[in-house]
Amino acid sequence: METAIEVSGVSRHHKSTTALDNVSVRFQRDTIHGLLGRNGAGKTSLMSVMTAHDWPDAGDVRVFGHRPYENEQVLPRICFVREDQKYIDDAKVHHALNAAALAFPRWDQDLAARLCQEFQVPEKTRIKKMSRGQRSAVGVIIGLASRAGVTFFDEPYMGLDAVARQLFYDRLIEDYSEHPRTIVLSSHLIDEIAHLIENVVLLDHGKILLDEPVEDLRDRAVTLVGRADAVEEITRGREILHEELMGRTTRVTVLGALSLSEQRRVQQLDIDVTPVSLQQLIVRLTSRGTPVSTDTEEVAA
Amino acid sequence: MSAIAHTETTVRAPAPSSFARVPAAFKLQFTVPSALVWIPLMAFFGAWAISVGVGLWVEAAGADFTAQSPFYSGASQAAVWCLLFIGAYAASHTFSFAMALSFSRRVYIFGVLLAFGLVSVAYGVLFGLLAALEQATDGLGGHFYTFALPFLVADSGAVGAGALAAALCLAAMLFGFFWAILYRRVSVMAVTIVALALGVVILAAVMLVTTNDWWPEVGEWVMNQSALTGAGWFLIPIVGLILASYAIIRRATP
Repeated sequence: METAIEVSGVSRHHKSTTALDNVSVRFQRDTIHGLLGRNGAGKTSLMSVMTAHDWPDAGDVRVFGHRPYENEQVLPRICFVREDQKYIDDAKVHHALNAAALAFPRWDQDLAARLCQEFQVPEKTRIKKMSRGQRSAVGVIIGLASRAGVTFFDEPYMGLDAVARQLFYDRLIEDYSEHPRTIVLSSHLIDEIAHLIENVVLLDHGKILLDEPVEDLRDRAVTLVGRADAVEEITRGREILHEELMGRTTRVTVLGALSLSEQRRVQQLDIDVTPVSLQQLIVRLTSRGTPVSTDTEEVAA
Repeated sequence: MSAIAHTETTVRAPAPSSFARVPAAFKLQFTVPSALVWIPLMAFFGAWAISVGVGLWVEAAGADFTAQSPFYSGASQAAVWCLLFIGAYAASHTFSFAMALSFSRRVYIFGVLLAFGLVSVAYGVLFGLLAALEQATDGLGGHFYTFALPFLVADSGAVGAGALAAALCLAAMLFGFFWAILYRRVSVMAVTIVALALGVVILAAVMLVTTNDWWPEVGEWVMNQSALTGAGWFLIPIVGLILASYAIIRRATP
C-alpha cells in the first residue's frame, strides 16, 4: 500500500520541552489511523508538523511525496481543524463553510449542508457564541466535507454529546467508504473509535511507542486473574504491563499471547484469561512505570 | 466499501499553480464583510457627518465661514485609524482559520495584500471624489472642508488627495497587521522590545537632525513635497512592512 505521509527522524523542541523526539513513522494511504497517547505525548505537535502548521527542528516530513511547508502542490489536499480552532470573529457557520468551499478543491457542499442539519448546528448563531459541542461540530463538518486526501481530526469529540459523537463516527465511516482517503484521528476515547481505526500510532513522551494494524494488537496482551502463585507461574519471565493485588487473588496484564502449552496450564491452574481492549492496552503501555490509582492495591510494573 | 469509490489516487489532476488559491485567500478577508467593508464605511461617513455637523453648529453659534476663512476638519483620517486596527484584526482573526484551510503563508499574505490594496484604493477613490465634491461646491456650499484640505489638493487636486489617502491607508493597515502578526509570532516581551528599539531609532534620527541643525532643511524638504510625491514616499514603509510581515509570518504558528 502507498504511503500518504512519511515522517523521518523528526524532532521538535519548544524551549526546554521536547515535543517530538526523533520520530519516524509512515501513515498508509486510504487508511483510518488512530493517533493515540496521553496528554502532552506529542500528538498535536506531530499533526502540526505534518500539516505545515509547524515545522521540525530536525528531520523530514513528506505528504504524498512532497514537503508540505509552504507547498501549494500538496496543502490543498490536507485538512487539519484543531480541537480549539479559532474562527473569524462574528463568523456564522455559513461564513466558515463558504471559506472552506473555496479552499478545498474536493469540497462537497451538499454533504456540508446535510451534516449541518444532522448535527443541528444553528445557522444564525455566531460561532464564537456557540456551545463547545456546536463548535466541535463545525470542525467535524469542515473536516468531513473537505474530502481532503489527508484529513486530521484532533480530539473532534470535545463537547459533543454521545448522540453527536455516534453521528460523527457513522458519517465518518460512511463517507470514508464511498471516498477512501487518509484519516488521522486523535482521541482519548479509544474504545469508542476502536472499531473505526485500522492502524494505531501510539505516542509517548514524544516518541513512537507503537505503530501497528489494529488486528495485530488483538493478541498483543492478555490479562490473567487467579491465585497469586498460579498467575506468577504463568507470568514469570514475561513483561508485566500491570498488576493488581486483591488479597490472595491477583490480576496481571502481560505482553504477548499465550502459547498452547500455556493455555493448557492456565486451565489446570483455574486462571481466568480475558482479552485486553485497545483502550486497556494503550493505558497499560503508556502507564508503564506510572502507578495508576484504583480501589485495589496496585503494583506498577 | 463502494465499488465506485473515488480515491485520491483516481482523481489526480495536473499540479495546481502555487498561486491558484490566492483568490480564495483574498475572499477569506471579506468572508465577514463587517470588518473590511461596513465598519470602515461607518467610520468614514460617521466622522464626516459629525465634522459637518460640528461646522454647522459652530456657524449657528455665530462663526462666519468664508473662502478666506473656511472650516477645516481632520475627520477624514478617522477611517485610516479604524483601518489600522482592522489590519491588526485581520492578522489576529483570519490567520488561524487560514491555516485550518491549509493555505500556505505565502498565499495567505498575498490574499491579505490584495484585500488591503482593494480597500486602500476604494478609500483613496472615495476620498478623491469627496475632495472634488468639496472643491466644486465651495465646501458643500458652506466652506466646510474635510477632504479638500489645502496641503492635499494644492498641487495635484483631488487626484493627489486620493493618492495620498490611499497610500496612507495601505501603510496604516500594514502597520497594524505587522504588529499583530509580530505579537502572534513572538511574546509580548519581544513586541515591547521591538517597539522600544524602534523608538530608539526614531529618537536617534531626531537627535542627529537636531545636533546638526538640519531642521530648516527638513522643513523645507517637507514643504516641497506634493500629495503625489508624498504618496510615493509612502511606498518605502509599505514595501518595508510587507517584507517584514512576510518574514515574520513564515515562522508564525496558528
